[in-house]
Amino acid sequence: MSAVVTRRVIDSDVCIIGSGISAAMVADRLARTTAATIVVVEAGDEAPPLGQRYALRERYLEYGESPWPNDHLDGYEIDGPLQSRSMQVGGLAMHWGGVTPRWSPEDFRTRSLFGVGTDWPISYDDLDPFYQEAEELMGVAGEQGPAAMDPRGKPFPMGPIPLTHNLTLLKEWSARAGITMWSQPVAKNSRPFDGRSECCRNDTCSPICPIGAKYSPDFTWNRLRASKRITLYPRTLVRKLVLADGSMRIASAEAVQRAANGRGGDTPVEFRAKKFVVAAGYAWSAHLLLLSAGSRLPHGAANRSGTVGKYLAGHRNRQAFISVPMKLYPGMNGQHSLVTKQFMRTPVGSRYLRHDLRVWESSFARAPRLKGDDGAVMLGDEIMRDWRERARTGVARVRAYYDVIPDRTSELTLDATRRNAWGDPLPKLAFRDAQESAALRDYSVATLHALFEQMATSGGGKVLQTVEDDGPGWQDHPAGGCRMGDDPATSVVDKWGRSHDHENLFVVGAPTCVSASCANGTLTFSALALRSAAEIARA
Amino acid sequence: MTRLSRRAFLGALAAAVPAAALVRRAHAAAVDDIAASPRTLHALGEAVLPSELGRTGTAAAVVAFQRWIAGYRENAELLHGYGTSTLERSGPTPATRWASQLDALDRTARAEGARSFAALPLEQRREIVRGELAAVKGDGLPSVGRAPHVALALLAHWYDTPDATDRCYEARIGKESCRPLATSTRRPLPLAGART
Repeated sequence: MSAVVTRRVIDSDVCIIGSGISAAMVADRLARTTAATIVVVEAGDEAPPLGQRYALRERYLEYGESPWPNDHLDGYEIDGPLQSRSMQVGGLAMHWGGVTPRWSPEDFRTRSLFGVGTDWPISYDDLDPFYQEAEELMGVAGEQGPAAMDPRGKPFPMGPIPLTHNLTLLKEWSARAGITMWSQPVAKNSRPFDGRSECCRNDTCSPICPIGAKYSPDFTWNRLRASKRITLYPRTLVRKLVLADGSMRIASAEAVQRAANGRGGDTPVEFRAKKFVVAAGYAWSAHLLLLSAGSRLPHGAANRSGTVGKYLAGHRNRQAFISVPMKLYPGMNGQHSLVTKQFMRTPVGSRYLRHDLRVWESSFARAPRLKGDDGAVMLGDEIMRDWRERARTGVARVRAYYDVIPDRTSELTLDATRRNAWGDPLPKLAFRDAQESAALRDYSVATLHALFEQMATSGGGKVLQTVEDDGPGWQDHPAGGCRMGDDPATSVVDKWGRSHDHENLFVVGAPTCVSASCANGTLTFSALALRSAAEIARA
Repeated sequence: MTRLSRRAFLGALAAAVPAAALVRRAHAAAVDDIAASPRTLHALGEAVLPSELGRTGTAAAVVAFQRWIAGYRENAELLHGYGTSTLERSGPTPATRWASQLDALDRTARAEGARSFAALPLEQRREIVRGELAAVKGDGLPSVGRAPHVALALLAHWYDTPDATDRCYEARIGKESCRPLATSTRRPLPLAGART
């Protein structure tokens, strides 16, 4: 006899799909500024509470185990470079590095200024107050860079994470090459903030901060749940958005609540809401819209333009390890860096290249080793002697992210050959450069190598190795897939993240990006989400 | 006929039939054996770890390594990296292999006329270990669990500690430990007795 499974129906004013950092920003703003009933739907499990994170960190340090066990759905091995399998309450920002640079004003106007890519329908100035709001919600510790390079309307909410002895020396070293660097802004507390402790440089920010000094969305969810401003449904996978009869409004989200034992007995759930917010990141947002295809939506939800899943964007990097003629002490705080925005503008008359630049302490070529230069095995005191000798001078890790202009065929599509446990096709991902960007790749790499050489020469060092530290086909900090624009024929959402096709459907954060700059994207995704939340509250 | 120990028997059986229960028992037997007769492992520690640790420091490093072995979990979910949807899990326990290698060190010592590996002079122990590690590819120290030989695993385990880094730099860096933000702006304090 089979058990009767009852469909649950859950009503709300706003239904947010996804519980990552963009979802947390939207929920927080709506909870503060409206009286709306808010539900949040998350496919993954609850994240382990803060009190367990020291022990999880120890297993990670000792054995390389994931400090976020079971943070994924089984059966989601996909074709193409997925940013992360992580799917849990809090999303990828549970294990992010907490690095929060703003993008630069030029990012939003590359076509107008440099003749490449596509201008955004919003400017840096439009986003500035939402950058500030995101920084204040997360608690960003930052140092004001030179105003011309690093414009902002108000000061950082916290003073910067102080430079370590190593970074102080490396800042002077970089200056010899004419490069002005400062402390990288981060969502880590330089003082106790919002009930969370001060950073103590234990240096496992990514993948896990055991003391809560780094912001992660679970803090926002804990607060909103405690105040009963939201209801969060974990282990609940939204499979499809459904249209209302006789209109293009979204009426419901069809979901399945996974059984606790993971062995069937899943419960169908229908989320009904006045407004729906898809906040599931660059991959799962477009995936859900495509899965929502039906007789009235032949190409999926929000996809009359055919651009859902298109223009996936990211950036690439080149990295160098450079010996420096000074004693450094690797291990002081390897996850904190210097940064400059000096190269975010292409000089007049030059070919297009924009990049950030960061410098870290490094133990590259300064680690203990088993064999000496002669290939002989070393034991006992020999290894330590050899290590001390090589550690007399330091090594700097220098890395530049550089722009990649996305092609329309840089895309997420549905893969008919791979399906999840509920029979839905999995996504397939392929990043592709626009022709203009592909043509610049060799020039970009050569120019960056020349910069590394210049830094080495000016600072009395030597480039030991240059690498791209990504796998083939992968781009850093991916975004796009539901790009914003003024023209409904060439974009998925408007400048607020509202679908051109469905007045009560918003897509927020990373997927709405037109391009992905040449710096970490999470703060920008959060600011965009807050800007969307302002419109959701107004609408 | 060669007699197999309980641990060797379980190890061979688990390799042939890698059922979870058998593998767990083989791991536990290897951990028990190493803990029950730690002389060879301690003798190995004296041979491969830096002498500046002294008797107490070496013993502590060996005990910490034993604790690592005992805490190993097979098929545990490993940190999944960026850019891929592939998940990785930890491999078979290295404990059975390492326990056998400790036995082999004793056998080699006996072949050289000593009662055990521990009974050999330090330099002779080192020569045996050098011979065992000569074929190891690359010059770096691997992650502990991937070390092909117990001697290399012991080295990798200790050299990954904050203590090892502090000793190399002769300074109180305290990597991966909680440190007040403000103090890290200064050059780390020298270790007591450091040369600099």
